[in-house]
Amino acid sequence: MSQPTAVTGSTGVSRRGRRAARRGNVVPLRGLAPLVVGLALWQIFGTDDSAFFPRPSTWVVQIVDLAKGGTLWPALGATLESLLISLVVATIVGGILGIIVGASRFVDRALNPTLEFFRATPSSAMVPIGVLLLGYTLTMKVSITVIAAIWPILLSTRAAMREFNPTLLDVASVFKMSWPRRIRTIILPAVSTAVLLGIRVGAPVAIIVTILIEILTGITGMGALLAQSQQEYNSAATFGLLVMIGIVALLFNFLVGWIESFFTRHLPPA
Amino acid sequence: MSETMAIHLARTPAKKKRWYARWNWTGAATTLVLLILWQLCDQLGLIHFAYIPSPLQIVGGAVQLLQEGALQAAVAHTATVAVIGWAIATLIGLILGTIMGLSKTVWTWTAASVEVLRSFPSITFVPLAVLLFGFSSSMELVVVIYAAAWPVLVNTLEGVRTISPGLRDVARTFHLSVWRNIRSIVLPAAASKIIVGLRLGLNLALILALAAEVIGNPEGLGYGLTVEQQALQPARMFVYFISVGVLGIILNAILQLIVWWTLPGITALAERGRKS
Repeated sequence: MSQPTAVTGSTGVSRRGRRAARRGNVVPLRGLAPLVVGLALWQIFGTDDSAFFPRPSTWVVQIVDLAKGGTLWPALGATLESLLISLVVATIVGGILGIIVGASRFVDRALNPTLEFFRATPSSAMVPIGVLLLGYTLTMKVSITVIAAIWPILLSTRAAMREFNPTLLDVASVFKMSWPRRIRTIILPAVSTAVLLGIRVGAPVAIIVTILIEILTGITGMGALLAQSQQEYNSAATFGLLVMIGIVALLFNFLVGWIESFFTRHLPPA
Repeated sequence: MSETMAIHLARTPAKKKRWYARWNWTGAATTLVLLILWQLCDQLGLIHFAYIPSPLQIVGGAVQLLQEGALQAAVAHTATVAVIGWAIATLIGLILGTIMGLSKTVWTWTAASVEVLRSFPSITFVPLAVLLFGFSSSMELVVVIYAAAWPVLVNTLEGVRTISPGLRDVARTFHLSVWRNIRSIVLPAAASKIIVGLRLGLNLALILALAAEVIGNPEGLGYGLTVEQQALQPARMFVYFISVGVLGIILNAILQLIVWWTLPGITALAERGRKS
């Protein structure tokens, strides 16, 4: 990222070479075999009435029950809604703060201890405080998730701004560019990869915190359903929801990764 | 910055500057000013939130908790579980990651499963673990190990897989045994990536230890947080919160020092690896 070529985007790597490099990183589907075999063995040798390890077919039954009962889809919608809002807010606020903090050596040094403290504080500790201050509301859910997911975005943008080549701004001065134009054509392209990297790191954190808040407070969401099934000692539903949240998270992270590679497709492979 | 230069910088002790010049005075002053402003806002009643205590009230809460001995016990519990869980996770991640990185066959037949399992949010395993292990410390430990093992495994795997072919040839030319190859070539070459994994793992271990305590295990800093929240004792709650942050900083610093002592030169490369 530190190389200036990463900003200009002109590389010596051919398109075919890049595609081959990408293909080398694609994980073969054969690798799913242990997972599939494990689940199949569980299904064959497990029983329906096991208190702790009911077999996979019972998970599906429980999930279908929840869907028929009308609680599953609203919960999924609520979780995804607050996740999306949080990530968008975290990206905008984190990106802007990162640019401001990283642009000035003085502001950077002044805020460093405060930033380091919040970065090192495990996000899960923020949840009880949010509950006390803001109550059991969507605002609380989104604010706490934003506070947790903002650090990777902020810090990675700050790092990109630190390495920002000042000559680029001199170019802008020479061309007498207006400030909006400078931001659009010089600063944003310089930090965009860093912001996207921050989002990719921040997305799993946002998922963790959102689910944790739902588990703790019982606000409508997948986490609340999970906590409920645990309190009812319904292990089949717990397993089913766990897999379902996992698949949703997998798709979500995949989507974030895809957006990242879409926006950085003109850059050389890292 | 070229790699040799980075190594050189990392090895050169920053002794040329005096200790007071290396200290971030601007940062310390800003933090102090922010704290004083916070205290003044509260005392002059400029802004008054019902549940945000002033810094002095937090200090009072800390004194109380220290006298009761609750804070020491909570810190000790959380730190112990997080560190032990992380250590076990590191061992598991290192072994599995090295095996998967060295053998193309093993990688082909397991990598996709790893990708799927590791993207499951580890927090969802807390209710399951509560169901299986009850409200106990073993529940907390299991969750911490599970969560912290993935970043170590994935980063070790990446590090081992991306060793330059030249180094692999060296091992083959010298007819190194598998064990010798791993010890003298594979692990040192993958060290900078592994360290990134160790750091991510440590952070996750703390996050999950806290989450498990908040949800289930009636011990540690996370439990203290929920108790004081439900008792509407914001000052004492903020003491626990700040202790969590300080614990995070201290554990990270210790890890960094260990890396610094045992592998000088790698630190700078790891910094680069974390960014790119």
